[in-house]
Amino acid sequence: MITKRIEAIRQNYVNAKPQISCERAAIWTESYKSTEGQPACIRAARAFYDCCDRLSVHIFEGELVVGAIGEFRKCGILTPEFSWQWVDREMDHFATRPQDPYVMTEEQRKFVRESIFPYWKGKSLEEAFLARLPEGTRRVGVDTGVIDSDSKWRQAVGEITPDYQDVLFPLGFGGILRRAEEQMKLLDDTKAEDEDKRDFYQSVILACRGIIRLAERYAEEAERLAGLESDPQRAEELRAIADNCRKVPEQPPKTFWQAIQFVWFTQLGGILSENPLALNPGRFDQYMDPYYEADLAAGKITPDFAQELVEALWLKYSEWVWTISANTADYFAGYNQFQNLTVGGKTRDGQDGTNAVSYMALRATEEVRTHQPGLSVRIQADCPKEFLSAVTHLVSKGTGFPAIHSDNVGYQMLLNLGYSPEDARDWSNCGCVVPHSRKTGEWTSAANLNFGSAMEYALNQGKSLMSGEQMGLFEVPASEFTSYDEVEAAFFRQFDNLCRHTVISLVTAQRVHREMVPRPFLSACNEHCLESGTDLSRGGAKYNIGPVVTGIGLAVVANSLAAVKKLVFEDHVCDMATLAKALQANWDGYEELRQKAAACPKYGNDDDFVDDIARRVANHFHDQIHQYKDIFGNPFTTAFMGISNYIPMGRALGATPDGRKNGEPSSEGVSPYVGTDTSTPLAAMRSSAKLNQEMHSGGTLLNLRLSPDLVATKRGQANLGAMILTLFSLGGFHVQFNCISSDVLHAAQEHPENYRDLLVRVAGYSTQFVNLSRSMQDAIIARTEHSGF
Amino acid sequence: MGGYIMQLQNYSVNDGDGIRTVVFLAGCPLHCAWCANPEGQALQNSMTHWAETGEILSQLHRQEPFYRASGGGITFSGGEATTQPAFLAELTDALYDEGYSLAIETCGQFDFARIEPVLRKMDHIFMDLKLMDPKRHQKFTGVDNARILENLARTAKLGIPTTVRIPTILGVNGNDEDMAAAFDFLVRQCPGVTLELLPYHRYGEGKYRQLGLTPPGAEFDIPSKAQMAHWQQMARAAGLTVVSYR
Repeated sequence: MITKRIEAIRQNYVNAKPQISCERAAIWTESYKSTEGQPACIRAARAFYDCCDRLSVHIFEGELVVGAIGEFRKCGILTPEFSWQWVDREMDHFATRPQDPYVMTEEQRKFVRESIFPYWKGKSLEEAFLARLPEGTRRVGVDTGVIDSDSKWRQAVGEITPDYQDVLFPLGFGGILRRAEEQMKLLDDTKAEDEDKRDFYQSVILACRGIIRLAERYAEEAERLAGLESDPQRAEELRAIADNCRKVPEQPPKTFWQAIQFVWFTQLGGILSENPLALNPGRFDQYMDPYYEADLAAGKITPDFAQELVEALWLKYSEWVWTISANTADYFAGYNQFQNLTVGGKTRDGQDGTNAVSYMALRATEEVRTHQPGLSVRIQADCPKEFLSAVTHLVSKGTGFPAIHSDNVGYQMLLNLGYSPEDARDWSNCGCVVPHSRKTGEWTSAANLNFGSAMEYALNQGKSLMSGEQMGLFEVPASEFTSYDEVEAAFFRQFDNLCRHTVISLVTAQRVHREMVPRPFLSACNEHCLESGTDLSRGGAKYNIGPVVTGIGLAVVANSLAAVKKLVFEDHVCDMATLAKALQANWDGYEELRQKAAACPKYGNDDDFVDDIARRVANHFHDQIHQYKDIFGNPFTTAFMGISNYIPMGRALGATPDGRKNGEPSSEGVSPYVGTDTSTPLAAMRSSAKLNQEMHSGGTLLNLRLSPDLVATKRGQANLGAMILTLFSLGGFHVQFNCISSDVLHAAQEHPENYRDLLVRVAGYSTQFVNLSRSMQDAIIARTEHSGF
Repeated sequence: MGGYIMQLQNYSVNDGDGIRTVVFLAGCPLHCAWCANPEGQALQNSMTHWAETGEILSQLHRQEPFYRASGGGITFSGGEATTQPAFLAELTDALYDEGYSLAIETCGQFDFARIEPVLRKMDHIFMDLKLMDPKRHQKFTGVDNARILENLARTAKLGIPTTVRIPTILGVNGNDEDMAAAFDFLVRQCPGVTLELLPYHRYGEGKYRQLGLTPPGAEFDIPSKAQMAHWQQMARAAGLTVVSYR
């Protein structure tokens, strides 16, 4: 049972509107003014320290885990060093924009326009990136919906998992600081590369001092509040909180409560340092369970209090919001920060790793129903039956959680990237569905690539259907294609060209990141960065994985090519010229032909006619992207993830031969196109499993909706468990279910006030349904509801 | 060879254990006035089609991983599963040899000697019991129930797990008197069977319209949850084991 105090915090989380805090941006800016001329990493570390030293401290009512990113409880921050222009352009409409609105006062806007933005003019990452991007790439790669990498130059990278097991918990930030000091003593003043390392270690030392300072200030505040507190029990708690903050994160945690507080301070440090997307807690059950078992054995904790602490942490994860542009919010809808927390799966040496904390995590998500952390589970073939039951039980609650992953496919994905077997076995999720590790530096959602655009350019002489602009390579008119193979070859020509521009865009972004935005705090949380004396942005991690390019619209393209093959070259229903005209007319006047196109075989029904095309396109995508190398010499990586990117990418896409009209959503991950998987979820699973998923090491995503009554009984849940094991035995990596009836979703649209806590699976993550724009909500409702009878 | 089928329904989870495929075989000796699958009453109509045995087997093979993980398999239904005995036997023999878990759902109106070899290859048998009163049985279904009752009793003695299903319909058998008579028969004549009460539904109405037929009228109605619970309680009191495949 959820406790009263957690319920009160939960109510505030559900009902409060997020507010923008300008404190962090103001301190950061003042700090940068005072450090001009110093190395970039020192400037970043100094600004971080100043934040920790000067940010106002807030312990909110009923908190057991403390540390706030600003003066508001539900709060977002600004990072003008990455981009201030979009904030300047958009903040007057923050409160009213359809996706992810924020509260920002007139006074705040005046303040940032006068006191913050002028300093960053010409100095932000966005401006440097745009200044260096070649014109040809800019035409298809900036705010077009064709190639989208904006989260990598308007925002920090994030996409990192602090190493609690080997760095943070064993050393504490005090220990990391001492290690940096020792490493510095070994450096040679006469060597240039050692001077880079000296700067790096100095930046780490400053970052460690910063987070320790912040914790001290929280200890002081907790003591102050304890003195004012009339309720003796709360006063006692505040003194315990003060004691925790005196010890962690400087020292290794000694208790479960301290470990939880440590985790939050680390998260807080990461947030203040760069407002990251996908700052992942990693394998929470693996590093927390030893503290739980020890406290339990020593009689220091009850299971109920431990559960309450976990739930308090879940609310902290959910109270900060990722401040992003309207464009980015279209791609990552729902105030989602993508803090992915993984439980279950094998240990490093290959045993079953599920433990008491694995179950506490599932229960916490069921009880507090927060959209964060992004809860992922790893399921292996012989996973304990109770764990699989706990997972399907949570699915039946309709929160969209957890994201369910194949332990073995995740392992294979990392082996394919060159991980050692032990590190590969220790994988955790990043963001939504990326198999990842605490030993890794990687841009896991580097760019989205609109597959449908390549289709459009192939059939429309390289031009956009909606704007008429020349976006792709020059191409002959579609009427000149005399065989299906020629059409497919034209598609691949256009496709390869878009891959090339994607790579150019990302290499440009990597270069400016390396120069301008080092990451001292997060580098301090990485084992190999500390050993090598190299920042994450310069490839300091043990594994530096090439940026992940996410393919959007695989189902649309496979269905479209299948329709061309069948309608034009097999059944001779129409010729290429007619089809091209129908697309140019957005099917206007061609409804009969559109119906025939819609009736052609569709991916997601276990039909090899179209599934074979999907596999060929996916294989080609991998081979094409994989041949390019990033700035560290590593091959680029592919993924079929979701996020909400299929909506804006669909908006940029004209009519397609599968019967889709201008601007309608594209398709997500390896999921079927909305409403076209008309057989059973089993058929959708079989289709997706044909794609060699383990080769797309950036992750693959399959979203399915189930009618709630299918999993209402234990028997129904057991069958769902069997279905999941089957998908994984076929080679699937991920599946996630929405178990909410359309009636409930329609009711939530009509009366959002009654459904504020309704979580739905968007794609790769869950969020509050009422926080999605109307078009996102409609898209969710439109997803095929599998009733299975 | 092959036969007439309505469809193969994958991911069926209410007609036996685990994840199953229900093979709906066309044709039925009964014409129940409330029938939910009117397209199955005849071998041939716009909603049935001829399928080769090999074609059906290869479609079932694709589902094997799901059966394996869930303990599921194949359930024959209809229409009436036994209306095409040679076709049913051919499918059953092939799938039995391949080691699949098999179940059958039947109305009980068949030649026992002819069907017994098929029944013996089943892991589970579902058999319907609609009404004990032969006259009303004749009126509602077109045949009297003598052979059905006899087959029920004989099937129960085969030693194969058997579940008797009573479609519970207000206006037909949804009353204490008919239920008591059915329970009494089962206790006395069919020792060891389990009982599942299935509430009447109207999901078949669209199919009537598709076939140009008139759907069952308002004289048949859906029992309430409380009524269902009451008859389940009565069955338990009579000494029957009540189960649910929901």
